[in-house]
Amino acid sequence: MTQIDWIVLFSFLVFVAGYGIWKTRGKKNIQEYLLANRSTPWYTVTLSIMATQASAITFLSTPGQAFVDGMRFVQFYLGLPIAMIILSVTAVPIFHRLNVYTAYEYLEQRFDLKIRALGAILFLIQRGLAAGFTIFAPALILSVLLGWDIRMTIFMIGGVVILYTTSGGTDAVNKTHLLQMLIITTGMLSAFIMIFRLLPPDISFLDAAHVAGKMGKLNAITFDFDWRDRYNIWSGLIGGTFLALSYFGTDQSQVQRYLSGKSVASSRMGLLANGMVKIPMQFSILFIGAMIFVFYQFTMPPLVFNPVVTDEVKSSPYAEQYNQLEQDFQTVHTEKQQGIRNMLDALHGDNPAQLESSRQELMKMRQSELGIRENAKSVIAQANPDADINDTNYIFLSFVINFLPVGLVGLILAAILSASMSSTSAELNALASTSVVDIYKRMLKKQASEKHYLIASKVATLFWGLIAIFFALVANRLGSLIEAVNILGSLFYGTILGIFLVAFYFKRIGSSATFIAAIIAEGVVLASYQFTEIPYLWFNVIGCVVLVGIAVILNPLMGRK
Amino acid sequence: MNKNVQEKPPVLKSWKQLYTFVFLHLVALIILYYLFTIYFN
Repeated sequence: MTQIDWIVLFSFLVFVAGYGIWKTRGKKNIQEYLLANRSTPWYTVTLSIMATQASAITFLSTPGQAFVDGMRFVQFYLGLPIAMIILSVTAVPIFHRLNVYTAYEYLEQRFDLKIRALGAILFLIQRGLAAGFTIFAPALILSVLLGWDIRMTIFMIGGVVILYTTSGGTDAVNKTHLLQMLIITTGMLSAFIMIFRLLPPDISFLDAAHVAGKMGKLNAITFDFDWRDRYNIWSGLIGGTFLALSYFGTDQSQVQRYLSGKSVASSRMGLLANGMVKIPMQFSILFIGAMIFVFYQFTMPPLVFNPVVTDEVKSSPYAEQYNQLEQDFQTVHTEKQQGIRNMLDALHGDNPAQLESSRQELMKMRQSELGIRENAKSVIAQANPDADINDTNYIFLSFVINFLPVGLVGLILAAILSASMSSTSAELNALASTSVVDIYKRMLKKQASEKHYLIASKVATLFWGLIAIFFALVANRLGSLIEAVNILGSLFYGTILGIFLVAFYFKRIGSSATFIAAIIAEGVVLASYQFTEIPYLWFNVIGCVVLVGIAVILNPLMGRK
Repeated sequence: MNKNVQEKPPVLKSWKQLYTFVFLHLVALIILYYLFTIYFN
């Protein structure tokens, strides 16, 4: 990284923290601190919802996902608009009417204290762990690719977030989200433009798209139903709707964003606009990944994108074996370039038979390239069994660092840190709200002054910030980072969603039946994760359906209690 | 239903119209992405 990149990066960090603190100083009570006095306009709610969901992992891992597996990951988001409509109709008016601070507060009004506590505790466990991961994931990748000390990176991200979130609460989170989304959009747009400038001059935009498509990377919609397949239109529409309902309807880090809206209309508009913008945004990020794939068809990529494990194997007894694989990889890559040009000639010459035969030829070369990559990964694993051989998360940043011009590298890194900070700040804010409103104020200290609860909220924000930093410091590698975060969420969301569905739509079902059903449903989800091959998106459906089903069966035996 | 819930959306005439619009937008995206998939594949 050059000096200019460092200046761009640090100017941004200082500006965001300073802006967040200055614009939101002087909060006097928890209504102002935790809900921004319910005064946020709908467009700020939209951007804040988007910034909360878009963590650094989104920008680091998603392009790599397209590079490896194509664009079908976009189907994961297809249920989101449906969920936004359902929540706008049901949850938003209820939450506003009851004037709640947290989603779990509603559960006590509908059921009783133990269900509220269960919902709050499930959220605190799941989100408390995820907050650490939100900091850890970008820190790991930045440390590997830039040689930064991982602990320094974790403290840098965590420290800045704690500073402005503790100081300004929800208002600071919302206001910095605006700024962070601006940086993120600028950074990703710049990367998008640069990829096309870096392609060979004779390769047009359409050529690049055809190359990606013919090599299976533009598979945005797939109708084939396969239970074991993680991403197809059915898992996206069904599992994705359940996941989005859980995340936006029951996860306080999102609920708090739209509860800060100044009216029901603001909250609804925030959710609906997010439902319309999110899918095209993810599509664009995945398309960037597909175009990086095309770029690397004309420029020699590293055999494995993680430089640390590559260096390790090269200084091990397996170095010779690995170097031989690198040479084989280079040979296939060179042949493949000719294959791509043959395919494009057939395309331009409007010769379908030749196009198909050259595509088949190309796919054979691609398969042998993938085979070499797999061999390289097994050599790495032999040299170091603990090595992280999944390099999906390193692909995008490796491209940024090695090929983008001075200044732009700093901007993209600022975008990635923005994304990390925007998600983390919303998480800390929500964890603090739930700890103070649902646990401390409700169960431990019921009668205290506004000032006391305000201080308690700030202490809780600081506490969860330090917990997040602690988890980030001890976190381990978990494959594709974006998938790991979604898997963690799916283990708990189905149960929480089931509780809320019973609360909203099954008015006759009482607290005891719901509580027992929740414990059983969570057990079923954890057992499914441990002992079956069921893709994680379905856990949301399983947890929810099992809970509702058991609650319906148990209720006549247990009564309304 | 309280006054807050009856408030009109800042765009279009009613919430029902807005929900329909968001849903049709999703359908349009799926069709568009499907055409994109088959065109380039």
